[in-house]
Amino acid sequence: MSAEPKTAYEIPVGPQHPALKEPILLMFKVDGDTIVDVWPRIYTHRGIEKATESRNYIQNIYLCERVCGICSFIHTLIYSQGVEQLLGVEAPPRARYIRVIIAELERLHSHTLWVGVAAHELGFDTLFYYVWRDREVIMDLLELISGNRVNYAMNSVGGVRRDISPETADKIRKGMKIVKERMDVYADVLLKERTIRKRVVDVGKLSPHRAVDLCAAGPTLRMTGVKRDVRADDPYQAYDEIPFNVITYSTCDVLAQVLVRVGEVYESISIINYALDHMPSGPIRVKVPMAVPPNETVSRGEAPRGELFYYVKSNGTDKPERVKIRTPTHANIPAVCEMLIGYHIADIPIIFAGIDPCMSCTARCAFIDVDKNKKWIWNHEKLRRYGIKWYGKV
Amino acid sequence: MVWEGLAATIELLIFPGIIFILWLSLLYEWLDRKFYAKLQNRYGPLHTGAKGCCQPFADFVKLLSKEDITPMAVDRVLFTLTPILLLGLSLTALFYVPMVPILRNEAFAAFDGDLIYVIFLLTMIVVVKFLGAWASTNRFSAIGGMRLLFQLIGYEIPLAVALLTPALATGSLNISKIAQTVGSNIVLAIALLPVLAIAIICFQAELERVPFDIPEAEQEIVAGWLTEFSGRKLALIRLSFDVELVLASTLVAALFLGGPYSPAIPYIPVQVSYFLWFLFKATIVLLVLSNIRTLYARLRIDQMVHFAWKNLTIIGLLEIILVEALLAGGII
Repeated sequence: MSAEPKTAYEIPVGPQHPALKEPILLMFKVDGDTIVDVWPRIYTHRGIEKATESRNYIQNIYLCERVCGICSFIHTLIYSQGVEQLLGVEAPPRARYIRVIIAELERLHSHTLWVGVAAHELGFDTLFYYVWRDREVIMDLLELISGNRVNYAMNSVGGVRRDISPETADKIRKGMKIVKERMDVYADVLLKERTIRKRVVDVGKLSPHRAVDLCAAGPTLRMTGVKRDVRADDPYQAYDEIPFNVITYSTCDVLAQVLVRVGEVYESISIINYALDHMPSGPIRVKVPMAVPPNETVSRGEAPRGELFYYVKSNGTDKPERVKIRTPTHANIPAVCEMLIGYHIADIPIIFAGIDPCMSCTARCAFIDVDKNKKWIWNHEKLRRYGIKWYGKV
Repeated sequence: MVWEGLAATIELLIFPGIIFILWLSLLYEWLDRKFYAKLQNRYGPLHTGAKGCCQPFADFVKLLSKEDITPMAVDRVLFTLTPILLLGLSLTALFYVPMVPILRNEAFAAFDGDLIYVIFLLTMIVVVKFLGAWASTNRFSAIGGMRLLFQLIGYEIPLAVALLTPALATGSLNISKIAQTVGSNIVLAIALLPVLAIAIICFQAELERVPFDIPEAEQEIVAGWLTEFSGRKLALIRLSFDVELVLASTLVAALFLGGPYSPAIPYIPVQVSYFLWFLFKATIVLLVLSNIRTLYARLRIDQMVHFAWKNLTIIGLLEIILVEALLAGGII
């Protein structure tokens, strides 16, 4: 900030803060009750990308599953899809439909989880408890299909590992009916409850141009009215055969984020029902060789929080040369920092929670030297050299 | 003389004095937590005592045994005094609320004008909280303390208007006498219903509960004004919250619902029937207060002050006009 108010002071939010149980520090400069500046400081480094280089392609599926606890399926899906592209094989049609069903169930549970978290950030704990109670229906369905609640271990290179039987399909249909009924209630509460509306209408505004400039992704972008969704723009798996709408709103505030996610819950339910009705029969998996010929590829898909992007490079062995993961929360942090400026301290939790932050969902490589006002990007080799030099010094 | 002194001491210390009030406040915390949990489809406390009824006491003892940290930068005197003053002020206010008239037919410290004194104590409680926040020298505490004062600006006038309306209607400033008059006049009690609602909303703000838990909003400013308090100090502050809860429920019950003074229940001694009426009415008020907690999201501080001034104050003033008109018409 050039013209800095004299009364401004700083408050730290995170990593030890009740609203933000994530490894990120947001340093706020506050004037009275108004936010004038934000510095995010992300410090997540788990070395997952490096770890993929010492494991073979099958082991890496289970590693990628552990990038994030909430969107674990989409990571394995996009990774397997990338390796399949490298091998030049395609999953059988039935496997593609099963992948879509699980991916949408995961989106359902992630979005209902978000509705609960948002209610909690607004101090509305009752809604939080009720939403999370009904989210259990979805979790139980995922457990029924895969045997697990969080890491489903469903994907394999060349298909999926478990089939959906007709009885299971009936149970999913019944579950979807319950989720839809309950979601009607919660959508009603979210839209009509006056204390909620007071807190979300015209809060956390972001113009569509800025959203695109700042590379926002997923619901954070769609809440500004920009119609961008990998499922529709670059269909993967069975999404080109399934009709669905891309939900956008143009009010550009937290209310629009709520509405986008609620709308996507309904879309996911209809996608799941359609996929169950039109699921082709046949095998669920093709056999693939362990070694992958030298090649490189890009694989992308729509995670609950936005576009998920995998770059995979192979070198002819059974281990990848390089795996690069670009995740949506990282892409949304510049946007949310802009959304926060000008609002009150009381709005921090709901605006920041608006992007559905998940710090395991962050990538880590860009350099900005604030003092010298310099920006640059290093390639893998340069970064490696720098690392060796740095640690050699210490 | 000796016996009278002994009786007064027992009244002050045991029943309906300090020990009874503390027992009731822990019981009410349990009831509040349990009811709140049930409305949210949870269980609430379960393990300590029957249905978890000893959980608040267990929490209190646990906090007492925890390490009591006094940060280097705090103003030690104010910081240490805050919990003691809070508990003392809220207990003092309760001595003027009629609970169980045993020796005389009023609260045991009652005097003419005690309503004004109780309103003063209610404001002092907030001022002491603010001083505690200020003495903490913590950024979150300071923000919480500021919010406390802003909130006080919002609800203090409507609360005073609401509490003084029954006094206007009955022509007395003695809480016990107001309770006696309201308890024997059902028309008056009905006429006071709008201010009853205002008083309940304002007490929700005084007690810092949803939607007015702004000064200690955990998602926004950690624990607000009590961020730095720990151990024994936090235990006393939490106990004083419970005592305030009892104060709010019993004061509302006394001023607007007649407190213990209702027609005696047949076949039991009149004192016992007074006691049962008192418990019944205060508990109903408590459950209403708990229910409000489950219904709303937290307001922002500016929205709260707007709401209080635009709605509560105006309704309160209109109600005073209504009560005056009814008095002039000889209806109440």
